Amino acid sequence: MSDFRARPLAGGFSLRNILLFLSLLGPGIITANVDNDAGGIATYSLAGAHFGYSLLWLLLPTTAALVVVQEMCARMGAVTGKGLSDLIRESFGLKVTFYVMIALFLTNLGNTVSEFAGIAAGMELFGVSRFISVPLAAVAVWLLIVKGTYRLVEKIFLVACLVYVAYPVAAFLAGPDWSAVGRGLVLPETSVSPESLTMIVGLVGTTIAPWMQFYQQASVVEKGITRENYAFCRLDVIVGCVMAVAVAFFIVVACAATIHQQGLNIETAADAALALKPLVGEYASFLFAFGLCNASLFAACVLPLSTSYYICEGMGWELGVDKDFREAPQFFWLFTLSIVLGAGAILLPGAPLILVMYLSQVVNGMVLPFILVFMLLLVNDRRLMGEAVNGPVFNAVAWITVAVMIALTLLLTLDTISPGFLARWF
Amino acid sequence: MSGAVNAVYVSSVLGTRVAAESGGVLGRLRDLAVTSGDTYPPVTHLLIDGRGGGHRRVPWSSVTLFRPEIILVGSGGTLVRDDADQDDLLLRRDLLDKQIVDVDGARVVRVNDLRLEPTPGALHLRAADVGLSGMLRRLGFLGFAEHLLRLCGRTAPRTEIDWEYVQPLERRLHRLALTMTRDRLSEMHPADLAGIIAQLPHRTIPAVIGALDVEAAGEAIGELEPEMGGMVLSQLGAEHASDILEEMEPDEAADLLAEVDEGRANELLGLMDVEEADKVRELLEHEGDSAGGLMNNEYLALTPDMTAEQALRQVRASAGDMESIAYGYILDADGHPLGVLSLRELLLAAPTTPVSEVMSTGLKTVDIGAEPEDIYEIIVKYRLAAVPVLDAEGRMEGIVTADDVMQHFLPLTLRLRQFRASRRF
Repeated sequence: MSDFRARPLAGGFSLRNILLFLSLLGPGIITANVDNDAGGIATYSLAGAHFGYSLLWLLLPTTAALVVVQEMCARMGAVTGKGLSDLIRESFGLKVTFYVMIALFLTNLGNTVSEFAGIAAGMELFGVSRFISVPLAAVAVWLLIVKGTYRLVEKIFLVACLVYVAYPVAAFLAGPDWSAVGRGLVLPETSVSPESLTMIVGLVGTTIAPWMQFYQQASVVEKGITRENYAFCRLDVIVGCVMAVAVAFFIVVACAATIHQQGLNIETAADAALALKPLVGEYASFLFAFGLCNASLFAACVLPLSTSYYICEGMGWELGVDKDFREAPQFFWLFTLSIVLGAGAILLPGAPLILVMYLSQVVNGMVLPFILVFMLLLVNDRRLMGEAVNGPVFNAVAWITVAVMIALTLLLTLDTISPGFLARWF
Repeated sequence: MSGAVNAVYVSSVLGTRVAAESGGVLGRLRDLAVTSGDTYPPVTHLLIDGRGGGHRRVPWSSVTLFRPEIILVGSGGTLVRDDADQDDLLLRRDLLDKQIVDVDGARVVRVNDLRLEPTPGALHLRAADVGLSGMLRRLGFLGFAEHLLRLCGRTAPRTEIDWEYVQPLERRLHRLALTMTRDRLSEMHPADLAGIIAQLPHRTIPAVIGALDVEAAGEAIGELEPEMGGMVLSQLGAEHASDILEEMEPDEAADLLAEVDEGRANELLGLMDVEEADKVRELLEHEGDSAGGLMNNEYLALTPDMTAEQALRQVRASAGDMESIAYGYILDADGHPLGVLSLRELLLAAPTTPVSEVMSTGLKTVDIGAEPEDIYEIIVKYRLAAVPVLDAEGRMEGIVTADDVMQHFLPLTLRLRQFRASRRF
């Protein structure tokens, strides 16, 4: 029991107050940081290595879009007390929910594969074989889920978030040309090519991933945040989103300043870590690899379990880690399948890991518009949200995000179906 | 009406074309309105999506044919343009896909489909389908699945809840329904109730708590994680919340109040019975992970001059409010413990013997700041059911029961099972 008179943000900068503050913060920061997972780090590394600072400008509108999208979810969670899949089921019916859930399962499975790929790649940089690291990680994830409580897991996650400091350090060690960074950040100058377009879709897709909305809303509900204490929650979301994009920014900068500058060609986040070694020294390389392992493990915990939760919730199946295979078969099968397939894919000889990681980000980008449309319809439903419906600015930003994502995705798909499509038009 | 088929599932009729008997399509069936109150509520209106927005209400009396393929509406009925259907209970809008509290199974289920059954002149809501077959029917896979199952020589299991057992918890309150009467809810085990509460959307929680008597509500909230319990508390009206807090063990009440906003906590304490509120206030002062945080300040206090008979009378008078009455503590006028008497010893003592003659001295106690490990050690070593907690001056402040210490040391797995029954991750 804690003293109820100790208020957050009042009475000095004591450890206790900081802890109280942290106990109120959480869902937003964790969600945004899980977002910088293996696929995210790989995508940001590649963006920096291949395109230098030229895609940095994309991070600013992406932050705005991310804040808007995540804030909508948090608000829906606080006002309705229901998860996103609950709301989709109750407002759009079973059929829609079923297909949304299939899509969510597939994208999250792709993401889970990429998390285990990140663990494999990261640990191999430390000389640990993937045949040891991946099964161990899979077991560790199982144990955490079976033994952990939400509070414990959340605390572990908050600590894990601190590890992301590795990236700014690596970026500074790389000694980038800051004026070039500044130009890249404010001056959009990107040549339109199939590669850059795919990268843009991937970047936005990894920064605003569909599972994040489900996770954000569920953890707001889980924390028991209500309309009354929502102000804190909103701050948490904004801080989290800015943090997430800041990490992305430093990864891009680190890779742009070194790998791109040297004209090296890399294909993975692990390559990026290796490539940093001769350019800025052992230390940056080590930090980069450590960050990758941490992020991958972090996300490998969150994704499989959250997937099964949202699906079972939406479909109305029994769920909960306290049940067993007989009581909640769907829940446990989905969860186990995610981990087994995710970890198993990595152990296949010659598995094209980078392709999987990269593709999963692109698929994220493709599923996202659908989720966003549902969210927008829900958050503007007065029966559901009362006075807490979206204002015009939020609606505008959100709809623009949806439109841009759909446009980018369409272009990308057309280019895949008919190669050279973009080259002909741009 | 005439020509009704037998059981009709709502999912198969929604979206059906509605035509006027005199010719011409009116639109498609959007929803069905029923009256609540009856055991098997009859359909009163059809809601039809017209062209160009808005919808029409067609009273059931003018429906002449009701089939999944087509619905015919006679000329006798009035077709009114009307959007004011807020007060109707609509099958699709308010029931389909929504959650139902299954009191028997102590869980929350979702309505996958609704079964309607015609009687002469009426169509009644008969059952809620909460199973896989309803889900498959909605998805359009039922025929296929049944075919597959027939090949294996099996039939699709049906999980339907007869509407007789379904009761809307509160009219128009987010449409949460129970599968059993409200009384059954209060009879449930607090841990099961807590499991259900934890699965409900915030706004429906006050309705469920409101359906319970305060004692059952207190027990159920006490079973929740304090964070969740605090949230529940803040959703209730202040009067109701303070009544529930009074019913709870002071230590549990204090745990909850530590989770809510300070102003709210003070308001609730102010509304509580003064004596109860003081106990809770006292407990709020202590650190969570110490004897003070774990203790309960309701215990059986006796004076040395009491006879065994008087002591027993005291037990009868006050035991109802206490979590644990394994022991009576004999205190001097300043509140220093002189000795202890187990209930068994008290029962065996001759009625006229003063308690000071039968009590055991050399009491094992813990300090108010004692760590849970120390308390645990003493409780196990001396096989106690509860250990007294003393303040710095050696006065008795409360007791920590073996239960409370065990709870503290319960492995994470078990705690997860108990409290996080089916929470989201």
